[in-house]
Amino acid sequence: MKINTWFGVLDLGSNGELLTSELFPKTVRELALRSLSLKDSRQNLPPEGFDLATAAIECGFADSFSEYYSLLHEVTLESVKIQVSEALTPDQRVIQAVEALDDINETTNSLSERLFEWYGGYFPESGLIGEALAAFIVKYGSRENISPEDPIYLRARDSMGARLEAADEVLLKGFAESVCSLYERRKHVEAYIESSMETLAPNLTMLAGPMLGARLISIAGSLEKLASFPSSTIQVIGANKALFKHLRARAPSPKHGVIYSHPIINTSPWWVRGKVARALAAKLSLAARIDFYSAKKDPSLAGKLEEKVRKLRAENPRPPQKRQEGRAKPKKKRRK
Amino acid sequence: MPEIRLLSEGIFELTKDKKQLSTLSLDPGKVVYGEKLISVEGSEYRTWDPRRSKLGAMVLKKFDIPFRKDSKVLYLGASSGTTVSHVSDIVSEGAVYSVEFAPRSMRDFIGLASRRKNIFPILADAGKPDSYAHIVEPVDVIFQDVAQPNQAEIAARNASRFLKKDGYLLLSIKARSIDTAASPREIFKEEVKKLEQAFEPGFEILTARELLPYHEDHLGVLAKLKE
Ligand SMILES: C[S@@+](CC[C@H](N)C(=O)[O-])C[C@H]1O[C@@H](n2cnc3c(N)ncnc32)[C@H](O)[C@@H]1O
Repeated sequence: MKINTWFGVLDLGSNGELLTSELFPKTVRELALRSLSLKDSRQNLPPEGFDLATAAIECGFADSFSEYYSLLHEVTLESVKIQVSEALTPDQRVIQAVEALDDINETTNSLSERLFEWYGGYFPESGLIGEALAAFIVKYGSRENISPEDPIYLRARDSMGARLEAADEVLLKGFAESVCSLYERRKHVEAYIESSMETLAPNLTMLAGPMLGARLISIAGSLEKLASFPSSTIQVIGANKALFKHLRARAPSPKHGVIYSHPIINTSPWWVRGKVARALAAKLSLAARIDFYSAKKDPSLAGKLEEKVRKLRAENPRPPQKRQEGRAKPKKKRRK
Repeated sequence: MPEIRLLSEGIFELTKDKKQLSTLSLDPGKVVYGEKLISVEGSEYRTWDPRRSKLGAMVLKKFDIPFRKDSKVLYLGASSGTTVSHVSDIVSEGAVYSVEFAPRSMRDFIGLASRRKNIFPILADAGKPDSYAHIVEPVDVIFQDVAQPNQAEIAARNASRFLKKDGYLLLSIKARSIDTAASPREIFKEEVKKLEQAFEPGFEILTARELLPYHEDHLGVLAKLKE
């Protein structure tokens, strides 16, 4: 009987005695790679209770137990290092980027607000916010530096704001520079997500757009998980708290997942949004599956979705008045 | 000078200001997860927080801990290695085959595993023991802390493949990973029954105790294979 071990293939007799052996080269990397392929093949396993360490010495692979264990230590370590580095798949990289983007947005918003408050003391009439304000401060600092050609020159000249002292100006300019670079960073990360999504999940990207698509993968945890979700789950992911409650306590399922930010739902009249969301979720689910299993783009998907949504809208041109009344009745009953 | 009392092979109770569970460090000078290092007459002990380790709680709940210094151990659910580090201290001349299936946890575990010669890390699903049968030898103890709904099945599969006839299973059962609604008592009863009957020859339960006050809704189980 032939059996596979991490150090070689052994041939055992009918009483379990070692007949012959074909030993693997004694290099850590080689042994680790072979061990990983055995992990997946799971064929010709040693019989239950088989003493690997003793067999390794018997067949001459190791001279002593201490050599056996020290090699096995190196080999298992090398194997898990390989596995861990392979676990950083393209979808996991996109997920890191999506989460980084969320952190950047949060930080940028709060620093931008701070800058607005702070600079407001010196030039409240600027009318600028966010990135434009930060860029303005980096360029001019004090409103006294604004040139007469600039359209807001007059506003600056007549401002009721306080005079910006040199020391404060240095501080504010530096702060504004940081805010600007955060906006810059955000664009980089977005561009990264867009280009990665195009190769990672072309169909999902085509239907959902790169940002929404990446967000769906991020919330699901991986493209594989997203592809395994039924479309009813895709419809609600992102409605976080409500979703977990739904799963745990079987509370009514929440309607508004992240896919509600999709323009195809946004621009639909309110009474068909639920139906459109269901249709979109079904197509996204299909797209995620195609992406996970083949990653080949199927341009017909977009047309099919549009067609389906056009039909839904045509079938439901007006708000469903009767159903509204019907729904109101049981409510009254409950109140009694 | 702290007073040292031996609780079980390789497991100590140090008393300085208060009583502290500890193990003798195999890797002196290194802190693994924020535990304290205490030197006594040239030996370094690492304190062991029972609230962060089901095994630590089992020691304090007076389980008969079956580890010897040369024990071979199969540890299922290694996570980042908090408890594995103490097992590695205890079986200083043995082996700890440490199975974990989350790559992220394994990443944190690798540093520890690389510094301790008796740890053999395995990134695999403990529900598929065949996937590491080419590496793991017969063991004296299986320790399992996976917090999964099918934990009885996982224990059975690993025991029938790897546990020596006279070996032991130490298991932590987390009620809420099995059913969030049912009462923990009911769940524990069911799980114990599964351990006794789910496979041939089945486990004989030696001790089953809740791990309160260290872990809520957790049952610790010590078992061996039926004759
Ligand atoms: C409660 S934690 C273990 C904590 C650890 N025993 C300690 O005390 O330091 C459970 C671990 O089991 C892992 N796990 C769950 N199911 C598993 C399986 N089928 N195979 C391997 N590991 C699993 C989880 O990824 C998690 O890291």
